[in-house]
Amino acid sequence: MDKKNKWKAWLYLAPVLILMAVFTFYPIISTFIASFLKDYNNVTGENSGFTFYNYQYVLGLAERYEGSGVFFKEFFSLNPAEHSAFWNTMFITFVTVPISVVLSLAIAILIHSIKPLKKIFQTVFFMPYVTNVIAVGMVFSLLFSQFGVWNRIFGLSTAWLADNSATWGGVMFVLCLYIIWSALPYKILIFLSGFEGIDRQYYEAAKIDGAGRFKTTMKVTIPLISPQILYITVTSFIGAFKEYSSVVGLINRSYSSDQNVQDLYTVVYWIYDQMSKGDWNTTSQFADAAAMILLFVILIFTLIELWVSKKKVVYR
Amino acid sequence: MEIKIENLNKEYPSREKGGSPTKAVLDLDLTVKDGELMGLLGPSGCGKSTTLYMIAGLQDPTSGFIYFDEDDVTHLDAEKRGIGLVFQNYALYPHMSVYQNVEFPLTNLKVEEEEKAYDLEYEDTLLNILKNDEALIALIKETITSGKKSKVALAEALIRSYHIAPSLAKTIVNALKKEGESYQHSINVLAAKAEGKKGKILQRYAKQGIEIDEQYRLLRNGEPRKIQRSLTKDERDTYVKETAKLVQIEEYLERKPSELSGGQQQRVAIARALVKRPRVLLLDEPLSNLDARLRIQTREEIRRVQQATKITTVFVTHDQEEAMSICDRICVMEKGEERQVGKPQDIYKDPNCLFVAKFLGTPPINVFSGSVRSGKVYIGEEAVFKGVDIPDQEITIGIRPEGFKAKPKKTDLKLHLPIDDILTQGRDVTLVSSSPLVEGGIVKIIVDSDLPFKKGEEAFAIKPNKIFLFEKETGKRIRF
Amino acid sequence: MKQAYITTTLRLVPPSCKTKKKKENTSENLAMIEKNQKIKKIVGLVFVYAFLAFFALIVLFPFYYMIVASFMTQQEAYQGALFPELSSVFENIAYNYSNTFERLDFMSHVGTTLIVAVATTILQLLTTILAAYAFARLEFRGRDVLFIFFLTTMMVPGELLAIANYTTMANLGFINKSQTYGEALFVMIVPLIASSFYIYLLRQNFKQIPNELYLASKVDGKSDWTFLWKVMAPLSSPTLITIAILSFISSWNSYVWPNRSVTKPEFQVISVIIRTGSLTVQDEMGNWVTMLPWQMTASVLTVVPLLLLFIIFRKYIMSGTGRSGIKG
Repeated sequence: MDKKNKWKAWLYLAPVLILMAVFTFYPIISTFIASFLKDYNNVTGENSGFTFYNYQYVLGLAERYEGSGVFFKEFFSLNPAEHSAFWNTMFITFVTVPISVVLSLAIAILIHSIKPLKKIFQTVFFMPYVTNVIAVGMVFSLLFSQFGVWNRIFGLSTAWLADNSATWGGVMFVLCLYIIWSALPYKILIFLSGFEGIDRQYYEAAKIDGAGRFKTTMKVTIPLISPQILYITVTSFIGAFKEYSSVVGLINRSYSSDQNVQDLYTVVYWIYDQMSKGDWNTTSQFADAAAMILLFVILIFTLIELWVSKKKVVYR
Repeated sequence: MEIKIENLNKEYPSREKGGSPTKAVLDLDLTVKDGELMGLLGPSGCGKSTTLYMIAGLQDPTSGFIYFDEDDVTHLDAEKRGIGLVFQNYALYPHMSVYQNVEFPLTNLKVEEEEKAYDLEYEDTLLNILKNDEALIALIKETITSGKKSKVALAEALIRSYHIAPSLAKTIVNALKKEGESYQHSINVLAAKAEGKKGKILQRYAKQGIEIDEQYRLLRNGEPRKIQRSLTKDERDTYVKETAKLVQIEEYLERKPSELSGGQQQRVAIARALVKRPRVLLLDEPLSNLDARLRIQTREEIRRVQQATKITTVFVTHDQEEAMSICDRICVMEKGEERQVGKPQDIYKDPNCLFVAKFLGTPPINVFSGSVRSGKVYIGEEAVFKGVDIPDQEITIGIRPEGFKAKPKKTDLKLHLPIDDILTQGRDVTLVSSSPLVEGGIVKIIVDSDLPFKKGEEAFAIKPNKIFLFEKETGKRIRF
Repeated sequence: MKQAYITTTLRLVPPSCKTKKKKENTSENLAMIEKNQKIKKIVGLVFVYAFLAFFALIVLFPFYYMIVASFMTQQEAYQGALFPELSSVFENIAYNYSNTFERLDFMSHVGTTLIVAVATTILQLLTTILAAYAFARLEFRGRDVLFIFFLTTMMVPGELLAIANYTTMANLGFINKSQTYGEALFVMIVPLIASSFYIYLLRQNFKQIPNELYLASKVDGKSDWTFLWKVMAPLSSPTLITIAILSFISSWNSYVWPNRSVTKPEFQVISVIIRTGSLTVQDEMGNWVTMLPWQMTASVLTVVPLLLLFIIFRKYIMSGTGRSGIKG
């Protein structure tokens, strides 16, 4: 390759590199640094040096003001009953991920097994993927209003989401339902495209080997799409950690308007809510620390994916 | 088991609406005798694979019948036919080890037998072995002194001497392992346990009113009952190892298919097909993915395994040499129809149409266009053969490469051909010649290497058993 | 099951194997076998279709309800009616839609959203094509390292970036109480242009284009630039269309970033405005109540264009998304 091309390549990359430098690389570094600075002011850049306080504060390990004896519990508390952002997120994650993965796998297997109407089902089950999370969230909140369709069908009068009388459990139920509803399409699609990649001869071989339909599914089909299953599981864990828009779509509350919203905080919800607070310039380092914790969790899950995929998963 | 195919047809519906369907197999009648290795031979698209898939049950015939002995299996599901099939590209499950691949068919099968008190037989056998404690202790000591201290070695010794199942051997070995105890003591403890268990088992059967005869069959109201049960782990293990030994893949059992070479994968595929003792073994172009050297080796291997097991086998191939070398009989197919069935040599010596004559033999038969005039065969203006008692007509003439007699006698009718090239291949010499009257323009002649040849025109007589005449239009054989 | 001996002469049979004897093989018998198999198959199929139809119903119901609720009166929507009173449907539609348009100033927000979505999509396509080309075809020092670095940034949560970008934009003076329309657009568009995921997707596609084409065009004396736009881009048009649609959809739906970074409600995009815009009226008692049918009308107006886009470009969206699952 001639020399001219060498700088030419950088010319092609320049727009992306400049944008990434400002809006991706710089934020990563600055957030990382700011999360370790005490009393950081994000406008002036003033700070009083290196500290772990931001992490301790966010994790509820350090007092809010020195000697106050009050700990910050919105983001993390050891007691799950206090519904901190961390535990809410954990709850959402461990409820929605297994259910949505298993359900989407089952639906994908059945769609794959039929011939007539296959295209239609494929399309229908993919529809929630292209819709607006906020708009459909509002639809869900109407369905679950006190005199709404859900209560009418099941003869209930539960206040699922109503501002004043909603319980934590009620909101979580609807929230998880909504998250599962919107999580299905992508997973189903990935599984279906995984199935399409399986050589038909494996099915014929299973038939010759005398395996019934159920056994073929369990022993042949599912193991053969294990890369997709792993990928989906990990990405949905990461996705569930970042759950935010669905909460806003369902319940339109924010810190500035409603002090009780902390009951429903998720990790990301809490981070964003900080930005709309009046003292943002002087408290942003707490959000920075929380974001770094989130990045750390995601990193761990990604590493698990890499590790497991090397060890266990079949690649064809 | 005999496979009988009657009037078999397979049509694929036309892609376009209202178009006529494509006929893949047409009115096929074929009988594969018990224990026979039958080759289905033909060019690609001749319907041989479709036929095989219909025998396997993976494709449904449009009409006609398939019988396994007396059973009509025409519309039976593949999984219920009890056949083994080796796929062209093996189709080994990539996520299972070789062992699991071979074991998989067994996990789906049932054993049909008379209901048996296996638990009682187990305790009785154990007691019998323990009763003769001197022999047992002698065996243990001998195994240990011979340097093999492992439990595995001891279990193997027990299995060998008493012909017992691995799980029973394991029970004995595990009972012996407690340190500080004499073997005698361990044996006594184990025997007491077994006595206790036996008593309980007998009690249970008695309570249910079941009698047990001397072969441990359960008698309900004095009658044994037929049941179906799954294979036990020990049984599956025995079958897998036995089959692995037959096809020589014992060393690879723990590997994944992706870690094996093509030839090894082929053996695994054959083992998976054979492990369930199929009534019929079907092979779909099993050698086409192997390189030339391995192909010859593997086809002899297939022949050996087939001879050893005596399973009725159908072998699909497009390679005539392959079919000729290992099949008992072959069925040559073209355009979905059977052209000729018979022993390879018989078909070679006596093809009944031009297609079959051309398809068998390397180098292929030389096909001339010529004519018959007053009992003589003419190629061009040369009379090359006489004594043909058929009406005068234009014909197609096939002469095998080895059908030319060099240095003919003066009285013989001769064909004159220019020799362009002389190729020596060991024992034989191939003369390459050209003629405008031959299909493809080139004539190949195999002669004895003792005779001296040089380039230039040469005269040949034709051996009477190596010349075949065919109808110009239909390619049908004309006998004379 | 414990066994004392292993017999190698077991009679192995496929489970519940029932073959008919040749002599009994009358057409009646054959019909019986076929009938039994058919019944079994049909029962299974009925179960499968019922299961799928049930979940399809659940998936579709919110869409259905969104649309019919926008045809209802406030009373009907409040009481969870499954369909509106037919006699007043047209009246309701006119009332709900005209009010929603007016109250939310809907068209101006659609305008803003379209500007943001189209601009983001076009700029994203341009930068992605250039970068993917450099990664796929050009050779330069550190290419592979840089590419892997790009890939790892995919893992970084957008939330982390949002915090710092918010600060950056605020410090640059783009986010403040006196934000102009131009500033609002700039803030919404620029930070989201560069996408390592799309670069990755397109690079994989570019890599599949045979190198011979590139060499041939070199021999013909074409420059890299011409080759990219005359050969590579047209050959990858399915992927480019996929990227364009996915990019447009995600811009159209963007909520988080605009909500935080745009300070004036009149410059907001529709996702934000349908959630925060005022759709309340005063009832007889003097209380402010949210008009539920109006809310649903706003949802319909946001979602239906997307669904139309989806139906038109279904093939591209589904194949593009399906491909994204097989990484590496």
